[in-house]
Amino acid sequence: MLLIGPIGFLTPWILAALAALPVLWLILRAMPPSPRLVRFPGTRLLLGLKDPHPVARHTPWWLLLLRVLAIAALILGFAGPVWKPSPDQAGQGPLLVVMDAGWAAAPDWPQRQARALRALDRAAAAGQPAALLVADGTATGALPFLPATELAAQLRALRPAAWETRYPPDPQAALAEAPAGLSVLWLSDGLDHPGRAEWLAALSGRSSVTVVPPEGAQQTLELVAGDQPALRLRSTGTAAPEVLAIGLDPQGMPRELARLKPGESAQDRGVTSWLVPIDLPSELRNRITRFEIEGQASAGAVLLADDSLRRRKVALAGDDRAGEGQRLLSPLHYLRRALAPTTDLIEGGLGDVLQAAPDVIVLADQIGLAEEPGLREWVEGGGLLIRFAGPRMAASERLAEEPLLPVRLRAGGRDVGGALAWGEPRSVAPFAADGPFAGLSVPNDTTVRAQLLAEPAPDLADRSIARLSDGTPLVTRTVLGQGQLVLFHTTANAEWSNLAISGLFVEMLDRLVRSARASAAAPEADRAEQPFWLPELVLDGFGRTTEAEGLAPVAAADFARGPAPGAPAGLYRGGERVAALNAGGPMAPADWPGARIERGAQAPGLDLRGWLVALAAVLFALDALGSAWLARGRQGAMA
Amino acid sequence: MKPQADQLRAGAEAASAALPALMLSAERLAAALVPGAHGQRRAGMGEDFWQYRPATAGDTARSIDWRRSARSDAQFVRDREAQVAQSAAIWVSAAAGMDYAGGADRPGKRDRANLLALALAMALLAGGERVALAGQPPRPGRLQAERLAEALVARPLLDRDEDAPPAEALRPGQRVVLFDDFLGDPQPVLDYLARAAVLGVQGVLMQVLDPDEDGFPWRGAVLFRSASGALRHDTRDAAGLRAAYLARLAERRAQLTGAARMAGWHFGMHDTGAAPSQALLWLWSVLEG
Repeated sequence: MLLIGPIGFLTPWILAALAALPVLWLILRAMPPSPRLVRFPGTRLLLGLKDPHPVARHTPWWLLLLRVLAIAALILGFAGPVWKPSPDQAGQGPLLVVMDAGWAAAPDWPQRQARALRALDRAAAAGQPAALLVADGTATGALPFLPATELAAQLRALRPAAWETRYPPDPQAALAEAPAGLSVLWLSDGLDHPGRAEWLAALSGRSSVTVVPPEGAQQTLELVAGDQPALRLRSTGTAAPEVLAIGLDPQGMPRELARLKPGESAQDRGVTSWLVPIDLPSELRNRITRFEIEGQASAGAVLLADDSLRRRKVALAGDDRAGEGQRLLSPLHYLRRALAPTTDLIEGGLGDVLQAAPDVIVLADQIGLAEEPGLREWVEGGGLLIRFAGPRMAASERLAEEPLLPVRLRAGGRDVGGALAWGEPRSVAPFAADGPFAGLSVPNDTTVRAQLLAEPAPDLADRSIARLSDGTPLVTRTVLGQGQLVLFHTTANAEWSNLAISGLFVEMLDRLVRSARASAAAPEADRAEQPFWLPELVLDGFGRTTEAEGLAPVAAADFARGPAPGAPAGLYRGGERVAALNAGGPMAPADWPGARIERGAQAPGLDLRGWLVALAAVLFALDALGSAWLARGRQGAMA
Repeated sequence: MKPQADQLRAGAEAASAALPALMLSAERLAAALVPGAHGQRRAGMGEDFWQYRPATAGDTARSIDWRRSARSDAQFVRDREAQVAQSAAIWVSAAAGMDYAGGADRPGKRDRANLLALALAMALLAGGERVALAGQPPRPGRLQAERLAEALVARPLLDRDEDAPPAEALRPGQRVVLFDDFLGDPQPVLDYLARAAVLGVQGVLMQVLDPDEDGFPWRGAVLFRSASGALRHDTRDAAGLRAAYLARLAERRAQLTGAARMAGWHFGMHDTGAAPSQALLWLWSVLEG
């Protein structure tokens, strides 16, 4: 930067063009507007005639001055003038550029590069050696100090990594070759990372450290496991951006499927976090391939959807009576129709489906089957068992001893709307506002003609999550271990009730299935079985998906530790399972004791460029007006 | 015949179709180089019979027409009609400026001059006159019209600004029609007129001008260049020069008119913006009178 009085110039060599101004003055002066060339046979008659109204052959001096001033303003403007620039405080010694290169550095990467290039340019101009520490976890050994010019190309080729910023573990070893009088420019991504404090201490001890924090807030996205999957949005700022759910539309084109609004916010040590519920229909949710924070181009702001967000695996167990009876009489038919659009269905014997590790098992009117070995363990391990009553259960002698039921049932059942009964068929009572069916509307024509009754018990009311209009339980639920047991006190077909042929049935099942834990224990088991994960689709630091080329399979142990060099954020496949390795997660803002903090990526001071260019434009406009006025004057003289 | 000559001829035919046969007014010319069948409507030297008249003293016996005299008592002499040779020479300037046309809707000056010249020639030929381009032997007949058309078109444009009519080709008794813009140096034309007056040659100066040359419509800064590029005049205010230019043009015309009158010639003007028949009628009337 060239300083002339209070004005500094960022690109002073452009000022050399000012030397051309006197030449320009002469040229403009010597060039009157060019005459029209006319071929005229009568030219001989014109010879020797004098112009009756002599017009100035030179452009008037004030017009000339206007033009030269406008061009001077342009030249000065393009030379990058800055009013009272703050002098560069970094010393003139050897330079060390520490470049945080994790995903958090991606949003303002070009500005970081430009800032680092400026520093390198200065070091090159001063003839000082420089070193570039790229904190993406790949740097090893002692940092080499090279002539600054050799680092520029390396710096330009740098791209942020799809994992967290990582510093070399041992600062002293890395700085072994560092010369004395070092000045450090630390382009931070604003977050705390392991080893940062040690590095800051090591660098502060031997040099002056200038830290350039990012301008914008860092935002990350994380999946919150739970009954209802949700996203956790964290930001170092306070504004709550929207989250875009992106997936394939029915035509197979990737597009924005939904916009999720952040809910309640919570503050914790400089980081604001919001819970973003994924409140979407199952069909839509199953199509989502990724969530991303609007307007944040970093891998941390992208959450790739994997199995945990995907369709639940539902097993329909029990004999299908379609063979011997008519199809519409089979309870499994209604269950199949209700569950197939939103879930992966498995059918078969109970022993078989247990092998497939489903999230939900549905048993329709089965008695005795519950003693299947492994079923209880499966439920206790987090499975959701949904059972339906039926004639077979009602007729069972041993109903009272039947295990894996949320409530004890009274044998025989109850017929409220039959031909021999006095009462009317009962309708379904509105659902409690805090139950799993909260918000579902009950159609008026849904009636139940028969049900299994529960033995009165003190906790019966707590366990009932749906009731008939007379208060008797329709659906009961209890928790067993980490899993749940759910019983519909009526049939899954239209035999006892027309519930199974109403839309409510589909919605109730959907709510229940969504509350199932997504194979909570399965991933660990899978990881043990699956020693390596193959990258399928990886993200770059900006959160853009790229093909996974040249990446080695990731060992399960490394995979569990999150994105790292060699295992960038992305989708990984291990056998049947697809798991996402997402970069976003908890973060903590960094603090910089003892370091000088440079605010703003641009050189401070008032930038005069815009004003000068505007001045030039005004001068050119005046020039146009003046020229027009002159032409008008000439025409007046002619008339 | 070249296509261009074809076109010229067709145009000339069209232009001259309305004219009656043009006869040059009979004027006795002392020495006609080429005898022409031009009846003078009086007795004289010639081939055709004119009248019988009674023999008078001085008539030789050989001149008496005995067959006529035998039918009466008196002697009759057979007179022949006096015949003179008449020829017309036509000259069209080939100066570089003659191809000038001020607008796309107007023909060039030379095209218009060629058209007028050929139309005039055809009218004259139709009246039995002998016509030629200046410097060439005059011939009668329709075929000559085609030769003339070819010769007019074939003459290349000069790269000079002036073209002088060939004074050495002047012959006594000729009638000469000169087509030019007369915007060049006037001295050769004045010399030509003086020589013509000495030889007793009469004729017409026809100034063919483009409306631009007549009206000088230029404005603003203009660099004028003559057709050959030899002369240029730079001005910042062309409109201001208009009056001076028109004055000079009028002065030039007055000079030519005066010189023509002194030599017994006529001076006419034609504007390429106007219809050619106008000029043709004028030429005819002048040549007839």
